[in-house]
Amino acid sequence: MNQYGMLVDLTKCIGCRGCQVACKQWNDMPAELTRNRGTYQNPPRLTSKTMTNIEFREVELKDKLAWVFVKRQCMHCEHPGCVAACTVGALQKRAEGPVVYDENRCIGCRYCMYACPFGVPTFEWDQTFALIKKCEMCIDRVDAGMKPACAKTCPAGAIQFGNREELLTVARERVYAKNSPYIKHIYGEEEVGGTSWMYLSSVPFEQIGFPTLPKETPVYLNDKVLHATPTIALGMALALSGVYWMVKRRNVIREYLAAENHEK
Amino acid sequence: MAQKIARTFIGEIKSFPAWLWVLIALTVFGLGVGVYRLAVGLGTTTNLNHGYPWGLWIGFDLFVVAFSGGAFTLATLVYVFQMHEFHAATRPTVLTGLLGYASVLIILVMDLGRWDRFYHFMIFPNINSALFEVSWCILLYTTVLISEFSPVFFQRLGWQRVLDVIKKITVPLVIIGATLSTLHQSSLGSLFIVMSERLHPLWYTPLIPFFFFVSSVAAGLAMIIGGATISYWVFKQSLPQKVVGSFGWFLPWVLGFYAIMKLGELLIAEEIGLLLTANLYSVLFWSELIIGCAIPIVMFMSKTVRHNRVWTLIGALFVLFGIFLNRFDAAWFALKPAPGFEYTPHWMEIAIQFGVLSAMAVVYTLIGRYFPLFEETVHNGDAEKFHVVASAPAE
Ligand code: SF4
Ligand code: SF4
Ligand code: SF4
Repeated sequence: MNQYGMLVDLTKCIGCRGCQVACKQWNDMPAELTRNRGTYQNPPRLTSKTMTNIEFREVELKDKLAWVFVKRQCMHCEHPGCVAACTVGALQKRAEGPVVYDENRCIGCRYCMYACPFGVPTFEWDQTFALIKKCEMCIDRVDAGMKPACAKTCPAGAIQFGNREELLTVARERVYAKNSPYIKHIYGEEEVGGTSWMYLSSVPFEQIGFPTLPKETPVYLNDKVLHATPTIALGMALALSGVYWMVKRRNVIREYLAAENHEK
Repeated sequence: MAQKIARTFIGEIKSFPAWLWVLIALTVFGLGVGVYRLAVGLGTTTNLNHGYPWGLWIGFDLFVVAFSGGAFTLATLVYVFQMHEFHAATRPTVLTGLLGYASVLIILVMDLGRWDRFYHFMIFPNINSALFEVSWCILLYTTVLISEFSPVFFQRLGWQRVLDVIKKITVPLVIIGATLSTLHQSSLGSLFIVMSERLHPLWYTPLIPFFFFVSSVAAGLAMIIGGATISYWVFKQSLPQKVVGSFGWFLPWVLGFYAIMKLGELLIAEEIGLLLTANLYSVLFWSELIIGCAIPIVMFMSKTVRHNRVWTLIGALFVLFGIFLNRFDAAWFALKPAPGFEYTPHWMEIAIQFGVLSAMAVVYTLIGRYFPLFEETVHNGDAEKFHVVASAPAE
């Protein structure tokens, strides 16, 4: 499988938010008006103007209070719920890995927001004609042979772009090395069937806001159920026609018998 | 001549009862707010947010489609199973279904971020999307309902030849309609299959499409009863209580099957324990089961209830409440929001929703006043003596 992937090493991130800014610049996203909430994290979460966001998570590490910086964006699932759900096929999984979005198709139904297990797609609540916004793994840059803007910018080397399989090998080497500071879990390797973005961390993922997800994706079931549509339709139509015919016949026979009885 | 028409017109309008004027006022108000919503977007006119991208409107859509299931249920009983004793109920029920679907279509467009692109589902298919299937089925089925209902107008116009044609294709039309209904009633449930991380396990199950379908039959039967009873009071015309009550006879079977399947599913999925923990979710689920299933099952098993107009209506309202709750649970109460978000509907959401529903009630009333909606039904002065209102060719 020659798919792109991204590997984020949370132990390397210094929380500079260079990636957040680079993302805004490359995608021409406007600034956001926010209030001081007593934290460096700004804005509070992914929004339709911020497709990648650094979360400042406070955790206890070796009995000391520590910050973990968590980069958030679309995970680019291997079996994306958003793609299965999208009414008009505006979201598509490209063979190379990125999950891309066609804003000329989207009708703004917001089904993708519910279908995403990571709560990623955001809606432009402030617009009259509102669309969805989400990270597309800088597909325009990748198509042109460049890295995504965040990976290009990161001064700490926390974001790596490359072949997903190779990145997995790198990740495994780091995680299972002697005296490795990492917990033994590569987030994204198997979650909901695997994601193109993967994370390494020294604190358990559930402590830093990653949802605990099963290995199975509901997408298979979804597709199976929906592909059964023609069969169900045909079955129902045939069954009803059959019933109609049988009842009609029964009535005819009944009338005939009644007439016969009458004659006698 | 013109003066005479104008005078009749004004006379008619003057004869509208007060409640009809209230409905008209709500409609006009809802229309105004609706136009405002389309002009300024969802952010200012609704309280929907990132944690609750769907809310009141989707809840109502699911519920209205469920009870509009009365139209296909009845049409199937009358034309496929050929239970002609129910024939007189078809027109009012098909009209309720049709108006139900019309209201859903309007609200769905209201709900779209790009409402100007509502037709995109026709040109950009995604066969894996439940919402894509729902959109198509609702559109096609609404067309079928219009055809099923059109004889009312043709009869008024006296277009006998068109009537004959429609009468010939009624059975295939009904079968197509019932098939489309089966598809979209269940695919409204399929909507939730991909939401395994959002929908609470008491509701999330691979069987949810099936549950949506079965419960729509129950909601549909309850709607037929409700509609017949209300017509009895409003138009002073309706079906004999014997017929209305016999719809109630079906309910214990359908609801019993539904409740057993639901509990059985929880048992097999080993989630039955969730029903014993005291929290909002178990309370909601129990309410659905007790108010929406257990009580009406017991009620409709009794002949005394089925023979009494008021009791039959109360039983039907219990059923409708249960399904209402079920759909709102799935679309709102039991969907896990993104952390830190809350939602209570904005007054404009409510105004638009009730504006659309009022509009449908107004249309129903006007059609009931001026068109032969109750052909072959009985005009009812006292409960015992029925006589035919407008004689139409008997089936
Ligand atoms: S993380 Fe969400 S938005 Fe991104 S691909 Fe997966 S399902 Fe789609
Ligand atoms: S909001 Fe747009 S991208 Fe999301 S499911 Fe609807 S049409 Fe697709
Ligand atoms: S650019 Fe790199 S170091 Fe800076 S916040 Fe982003 S991931 Fe962290």
